[in-house]
Amino acid sequence: MADVCNIIFTNFFNDTILPLIAYASITTAIIIALSFMVGRAISNPKLTLWAKTESIQIVVSLFTIFFLITIINTLCSINMNEVAGIFDITTSAPTEHVDVYDAASTYLEEAAIYSHNALIATRYHLQAYTVLGYLNAFICDFSTGSIGWGCLFGYSGENQQPLGGYGAKVAALNIFFNSSIISYFSALNFLFILIFVYKGFVFLFLPLGVFLRAMPYMRSFGSLLITMAICFLVVYPVMLSIFYLMGDVLVNREGDYLSDPSMNYNEKVFPDEAESGAAGSSTGAAFAGADYIYEKYFPGEDRYIEAISFAAYAFIAAVFMPSVAMLATIASISYIARLYGEEIDLSRITRMI
Amino acid sequence: MKRTMLFLLIFLFMVPMAFAAWQNIALLAFGISAGLLAVIYMVGFGFGLNEMQMMAKEELVQLIVFGLLLATLVGGDSILNSISTNEGLAQGSATMQDAATLIIDDIIDDSGEIMDQISSYDLQISREASKSSQCSIMGMGYTVSGCGGYTVLAAPLSIAGNIVGFSIGELSAMKRLIQITKEFALNLLLPLGIVLRTVKFTRGAGGLLIALGVALYIMLPAGIIFNEMMAATFLDDDDEFDAELVYGPAAPTANIAECNAGDAASLTTTGNEDNAKEAYRGLRSDIRKYIYTALVRATLGPVISLLLVAASIKAITSLAGAEIDISAISRFV
Repeated sequence: MADVCNIIFTNFFNDTILPLIAYASITTAIIIALSFMVGRAISNPKLTLWAKTESIQIVVSLFTIFFLITIINTLCSINMNEVAGIFDITTSAPTEHVDVYDAASTYLEEAAIYSHNALIATRYHLQAYTVLGYLNAFICDFSTGSIGWGCLFGYSGENQQPLGGYGAKVAALNIFFNSSIISYFSALNFLFILIFVYKGFVFLFLPLGVFLRAMPYMRSFGSLLITMAICFLVVYPVMLSIFYLMGDVLVNREGDYLSDPSMNYNEKVFPDEAESGAAGSSTGAAFAGADYIYEKYFPGEDRYIEAISFAAYAFIAAVFMPSVAMLATIASISYIARLYGEEIDLSRITRMI
Repeated sequence: MKRTMLFLLIFLFMVPMAFAAWQNIALLAFGISAGLLAVIYMVGFGFGLNEMQMMAKEELVQLIVFGLLLATLVGGDSILNSISTNEGLAQGSATMQDAATLIIDDIIDDSGEIMDQISSYDLQISREASKSSQCSIMGMGYTVSGCGGYTVLAAPLSIAGNIVGFSIGELSAMKRLIQITKEFALNLLLPLGIVLRTVKFTRGAGGLLIALGVALYIMLPAGIIFNEMMAATFLDDDDEFDAELVYGPAAPTANIAECNAGDAASLTTTGNEDNAKEAYRGLRSDIRKYIYTALVRATLGPVISLLLVAASIKAITSLAGAEIDISAISRFV
């Protein structure tokens, strides 16, 4: 269960956040009341008007927080598997209760695993091509079969790299290796933001927002804090949970690696010297030649195009879709901030994506 | 007036029983939102809060828009489907998404063949370029590499592999986007987008989902199909073009002759240098054939489609009520 919906979080919220909100509200109310009294005492209508306006705003802020708590409880009680059933979508675990926050974190975890698998597949191909490219063969002159008579009394022959020509494939795969790394790191980045939200730090914005929103010249900043809390607690997880429903296609829940599951991308194509079979592999490589090593890396077929496609799919799942969720969140912050105060220019934040 | 409003409210809560599952939710959301707005307006009216009354009126307008969008979606499903299945766009397939997927698969296959040919040339060139001859007897000897002329041919092949590989990846990503929208645009993204648009807090998210659903469902496959139609029309109509040029992967014709590593310099006879030049001319001729597939079909086409999608998302999110800065998405193109 996501941190936001469990008992520990509820205790944290009741023991820490609610008292802070209460302190902030009372402090603000006292300041407003004092301002009102001073305004009446010195017959300053501006001060009394300000106090009346801000007293309403503090009620609005508190109502917003109450509304936010209600929405969070609602999102904790929604079962995304039931939502999937409403839209005729099947999920991997249809009988489990998966709330919105669980679904959001599950999607990002799946995206990180998926992009990591793409990274493995791409890196394996790059490793194979690099090892094969560095193979050197010395072909003695005057050879009979694999015996070169020209090397009996010295060295006479030709040096060459029989499998040295993978520059084109390496160039192509390098782009997607970098892309897979970006996909993996992006998925983790978005997941860390989500965990950050779930751990409750964003709730600390609420008491600050309640207080600052009622202070002169700080309305926009206070509104921004409250709006950020709302959007990161509601909009961001909701968008990610929608992508969770699309997970069968986005992160290919049914499949694992590529079309040939027997190709398990084992790192140890040639085992270490301490392991059994190491001597046999090295000897085989020395005598059987480059094709023997090629078969070790690619027992069936070289699937570099599938590896490239895999990396591209990982980019969609781990970068494009979470970025859409973040864009929607940032747009919502802009939109809702207008409701609570002044418009906030968030164009600089979108450049972070 | 009051009786009319009462009948309308009852109708709104009764109507969900006539529809399928997600429409139930949508109409329930509509009814609940109308109820909440009524409460907000009453509180504002009771306490004399003009701001609350104005907000309630503004949200009522948005609620009416939601109702219109819902009606449009229920009726517009058939419009989107008729666009999708239009014979001119579907190109013989069941839907335009299927047609676009077939085109993408075809381009990926052609690009894969081109990549295999480039790799084959790369292997031959690099093997010849790596050769060196060595002779050593009793500690005295020499090493000579007469195949330096082949070395320069590897770099352009790397660049070619880079471009073709990138286009394969781009096409694969588009294929995945089409697959997603085909499965989820009409039955998940659009309905959820409309429902989320009802609530003030999630209006931006709802608008973006609607924009994503429509743009990816229609504009992305349309861009692919139009680019393919445009290129095919150009090739059909241009009679004056060089008939010998082949537009796509063809049987390799470049001859990569074997290099004699010990032959360091041949001033009077045909040697390694001439073989390398001959290989270069053959490669130059072959690679020209790949440009149409690699650059026009596999690179330009996807870029145009993705730009269409980005522009559509921007326009539709503005209409849907919350304009979103999609420059971040455009950077992915």
